[in-house]
Order: sequence, then structure tokens, then C-alpha cells
Amino acid sequence: MKKTYNLSYSANGTKNLSLLGSVKDKANRYLQQRSIVQHLLRILLYSVLLFMALIYLLPLLVMVMNSLKDVEEIRNGSLLALPKDPSLAAWAKAWGSACTGSTCEGIAPFFINSFKIVLPAVAISTILGALNGYVLSMWRFKGSDLFFGLLLFGCFIPFQVVLIPMAMTLGWLGLASSASGLILVHVIYGMAFTTLFFRNYYVGLPRELISAAKIDGAGFFLIFWRIILPLSPPIIVVTVIWQFTQIWNDFLFGVVFSGADNLPVTVALNNLVNTSFGGKEYNVDMAAALLAALPTIVVYVFAGKYFVRGLSAGAVKGA
Amino acid sequence: MAALSIENVKKSYGSTQVLKGINIDIEKGEFLVLIGPSGCGKSTMMNSIAGLESISEGRILIGGKDVTHANPKDRDIAMVFQSYALYPNMTVRGNISFGLEVRKMPKPEREKQVQKVAQLLQIEHLLDRKPAQLSGGQRQRVAMGRALAREPKIYLFDEPLSNLDAKLRVEMRAEIKKLHQRLGTTIVYVTHDQVEAMTLADRIAVMRDGLLQQLASPQEVYDRPANLFVAGFMGSPPMNFIDVTIQNSDSLIISDTEQHQLPIPEGYDLSSYIGKKVILGIRPEMITEPLQHKADLREVCVLKLKTLLTEAMGADTMVLTQLGEKELNCRINPGHQVQMNQYSDFMFDMSKAVFFDPQTENLI
Ligand SMILES: Nc1ncnc2c1ncn2[C@@H]1O[C@H](COP(=O)(O)OP(=O)(O)O)[C@@H](O)[C@H]1O
Ligand SMILES: [Mg+2]
Repeated sequence: MKKTYNLSYSANGTKNLSLLGSVKDKANRYLQQRSIVQHLLRILLYSVLLFMALIYLLPLLVMVMNSLKDVEEIRNGSLLALPKDPSLAAWAKAWGSACTGSTCEGIAPFFINSFKIVLPAVAISTILGALNGYVLSMWRFKGSDLFFGLLLFGCFIPFQVVLIPMAMTLGWLGLASSASGLILVHVIYGMAFTTLFFRNYYVGLPRELISAAKIDGAGFFLIFWRIILPLSPPIIVVTVIWQFTQIWNDFLFGVVFSGADNLPVTVALNNLVNTSFGGKEYNVDMAAALLAALPTIVVYVFAGKYFVRGLSAGAVKGA
Repeated sequence: MAALSIENVKKSYGSTQVLKGINIDIEKGEFLVLIGPSGCGKSTMMNSIAGLESISEGRILIGGKDVTHANPKDRDIAMVFQSYALYPNMTVRGNISFGLEVRKMPKPEREKQVQKVAQLLQIEHLLDRKPAQLSGGQRQRVAMGRALAREPKIYLFDEPLSNLDAKLRVEMRAEIKKLHQRLGTTIVYVTHDQVEAMTLADRIAVMRDGLLQQLASPQEVYDRPANLFVAGFMGSPPMNFIDVTIQNSDSLIISDTEQHQLPIPEGYDLSSYIGKKVILGIRPEMITEPLQHKADLREVCVLKLKTLLTEAMGADTMVLTQLGEKELNCRINPGHQVQMNQYSDFMFDMSKAVFFDPQTENLI
């Protein structure tokens, strides 16, 4: 857009020069044609984008619509039809009274379980990632690059591979089937990612900052606390969102390691969908699924822009 | 007792030796400038003094105390970095007082010290700003303020002015010089700018490839450079080097042309080089237009040189001339006219000429 403006500006500017009128006319016509073509291209672009967005949003839309219907309406009508008489009954049931396996208290209790696991796991893995990244970027030691390289393997190890060793380890530690055990699993599994995030962010900070602080007399933790951490909010946001989403949405570790008393909401959702007395209640299933996904959606809505900003944050200005 | 002693310091990164045995003693209150081309190990030397890098061999003493293995904070030094390295999240006040705070100075004293330093550097109005809100010159001042606040035994400056524009650089140079004269502090100052070195230093240490080439006063380094490298490095445009053959104790002949003779300066003993080739070094300002008042001196001689290029600098005019195959830089009065591509008279004043051994490249 800007370009067009500049071009037409310089075309106007030629008025002052004694250039031939025909040249000017030709130029103007060319510019007009150009801007029409650009206009059309832009409309095309937006149409494509809107279409793609719609495709992505369709499942969500279908879920929301059907969660507002009653079972009869779903069974008799089309999945894509708008609800005739929207009601939140299915949501209420999913939250408070639907059966998930042997209990019928909805998914509410499991929400609490999930938070009990997710909050400490996110906090601990973020703090450890920050410290690891700080060491691997600012306090390098012999072999620290190799160490970092090996740590990165952690990002590519599939969940399934670690299940058995992890179960054995938790057994040895006496943490099998406990919330702490599941937290430990998530911390360990997430640390590769959090370390990667923080390390890559911190290598962009000038190392002379650390030198200056050392000369000023500050030690390892004081430098971290007073100088590095205050520069970290962008990457902390990124890491927290990432970890929150990963751990909240985790099903496999939850189903394997949590034990009956600490089932996270993802496992409860699965149980809810698979438990049926009589007919299948699609509306309740969909409401429950939406409820289970709500926290991550909320996080994205409120912190998404920081996420994008943090990912693209470069070196600190004015250092 | 020296304020800082660097004794046979060596430093290697893996198999590459960066410092190859450096020896320097610095007196209390001395302004030492470390100069050398990029990559010669100046920053490594500074970081070693500061304790940010461990050295592979040798000792470093500050105020007579062996600090070779001491932490940076226990060395009683302050450093100003090329990038300033201000803490971006702290205000100017925070930046200046951080070191004092870490050292547990009580708050009222800290505030007094910040005020004192801010006044000295004229940055009082900036105290509540963040570094990102400062110009380059202001950041530079804050970085100096941070160093000054602690009143350490030794100040280390690593190319502190190289990120400033030319005008500001000259201003800050003068400011640093004034500050040094006023506070009498001991300073080690790294630069690759030879004007900075000449103007600031009590003594200059010229480095090359991790070796000290010369350690002397600026005038001595300029007039009697220890070897060809120093002679070529210090001075702009650089010293002219001419291959000559010594004829007898009084005169030499230029090897290229075999016809131009020049006198040997008073007190220069080249008797052991008679009949041999040496390298004559003569500064551009010693090759001028013929000057009436010098015409009768014994150490002066006029030769005809072809002019290739003239550059008016304002105060003088630099003339690139040709002598045989060799191009020579000359410095003439702007009032004097020379014709391009013509031969004109140039006066060689040999009183400050120096000679180098072509094998060792050292000063004779
Ligand atoms: N951490 C390091 N690892 C390996 N080589 C280094 C390191 N730091 C500096 N060097 C090398 O040491 C030499 C001297 O560097 P430096 O002291 O920064 O030079 P100067 O400050 O004089 O420009 C350079 O060749 C540089 O490549
Ligand atoms: Mg350097």
C-alpha cells in the first residue's frame, strides 16, 4: 500500500518538472491500473484467508452448536443445523453430574486435579528451564554445548518410549500413582523444551552484561535475579503458555501415571465419552470437551499476543 | 610499588595462544594505553586483568597483591565496555549504584555517591531514565559513572569510544583526559585508534599477535618506534620506509635509484652497517616543500620527486610522491603549489629519521 502512495506522490511531483504531459498521463493510468489490480489481489487474499479460517473453525462451531441442543434434536436433525432451542443443560450436566466411569460428579473434580498437576509442573519446569538456559548461555562450561545438544534429544523423544522407564523410576522413588509423580514426569519431559526456549533467548543477550555484573560484585544467583530475570518476561510468557497447553492437554502420562485419585480432566473426558447408560449424549460429550479445552483457549486469548511477541523478541535494546 | 603488574602472562584458547608472555608494570596514577590491530589480544588482556578470563601462565598483581586467581569482584577494578553493557532494566541511578548496593553500602551513602558521580559527568538530569532512553554519548557517560562510583584502584576501558560518532569521540576523549588529570586514577585503556592513544596516554603499549612490541611514552613511540610494525602502525599517514645503502658514517644512498644521496642524522651510529642495506624510516611531516630557514642545515637535503596526488587537509596538504618505484607521503604547507605529475623540489629533514635492520626489522 505504502508503495502505491509513494509512486503516486512522485507522479504528482513531476508536475513541477517540465515533463511532457503525455508521459504524466501514461504514468497515472498505469498507477490506476496497478492499484485496481492490487485491490483485487487483496480481496482474493482475504477470501482465501477467511475460507481457511472457516475450515479451521468449523469443528469448534459444530461442537458449540450441538452442545446447546438436546439429545433428541441431535439424533433427529443435522449436525450442522442451528439449535432450535439453545440451552445450557448439557453444559451443566457435563460439569456437575455426568458419569465418568464409576462416579457421576461431572468433570468438575477432575478440573481441580488438572490444576493441581499443571500449575506446579508449569512453574517448576519454567524455573528450571530458565536456570538451565542461563547456565548454558552465560556460564558455559567444558562440554556445555554437547550437554545442550544431548538435552535437545529430549524434545524429540516420543511419549510412548519413556513410559516404562518412567514407571520404573517412579516406582523406585515411591511416587507411583501420585500427583507428585505425574508432576515430576511433566517437569522432566518439559525441561528439554523450556531449556531450549530460555537458552536461545539468553544467547541473544550481551554477555558483557554478565561481565559487568561480575565486576560489580554480583554472584550467580544475584545476577540471575537482578539482571537476567527482569529481561525475561517475553520468554517466560512463551514458556508458560507452551507448557500449560502441553501439560493440560496431556492424556497419555495422565492415564498411565496419575492413579485413580488424581485423574486429570483429559482422562475424565475420555471416561465420560466412553461411559454410556442408554443412549449416547453427544451434547454432553461436546460440552465436556469444550469445558476441558477452555483453560488453554482462555490462556491463548489473553496471552496469545505476548506469545507471538515473545517468540520474535530479539536482543535487548539499550544494553 | 606498581599499581598493576602483569608478569609473563600467557593465555591460550585450546591450541591457539592469544597472549604470548606479556610483561607490563603500571604506576599508580598512570594512564596506560594498550593499542594494536583488531584481534591482537587486547580485550583478552583486559579480561585477564579483570579476572573475567583465567590466564594459562604468569601472574597478575594489583597493588602488590597477587590476584591471579581472585574473582573479579575481589580485584578492586572497574571496567567500561565497548558496548557499555548497561543493565537495561535498571535506571541510570540503579546502574550506577548497583555495584555499591552489592557491596552493602548503606543507602544514604550510596545516594550521595551517585549524586557525586552524576555531577562529575553531568548526567544528573538522566538519573531516572532507562538506558534505552539515552543517546550513545549519554550511555557512554553512564557506563563511566558506573565505573567511577566504586572508586576502585584501577579502571579498565575497553575501546570505550569506538561506538560514538567522530565529533562525540573527540569530546569524550578530552573529557576522559580531564577526568584522569582531576582524579589521578590509574587507567588501562584499550583502543585501536592511534590518535586516542597519542593524546591520552602517559605510556603506550603496542601489541601485535599477543606480543608486546613497545612500551614507551607516546613521543618515544612516535619518534623512535621499536620496529617496523610499530613505525607503520602509529601515525597517519604512516611513516615512509625507503630501502637505502649506507655509504659512510655521514651519508647514504637510496637503493632504488642509486643516485639520490641523503645525510645520516647527527648521533646516529651506523658504522657497522657501512656498505650494507638498511631501511630508512621518515615521517611525512619531515618531507616538505623547501624551507628557507632550514636550507643551510647539515641534516637537510632537497630531492626532486614526482607528484602523484595531493590531498588538502586544511592545515596541511598531503602529497603522494614517487621516488624510483617507491611512493612517499609528504606533508606540505597548503600555500605551496606543486604540479601534478611534475617533478618538484622536496626537502628531506633527516634529523628525526630512523633506521631499521632489514633482517630483524628492529630499530637500529
Ligand atoms: N572465547 C574465545 N575462544 C577462542 N578464541 C578466542 C576467544 N576470545 C578471543 N579469541 C581469539 O583471541 C584473539 C584475540 O581476541 P581479542 O582479545 O578479542 O582481540 P582484540 O580485543 O585485540 O581485538 C582473536 O583472534 C580471537 O579470535
Ligand atoms: Mg577487543
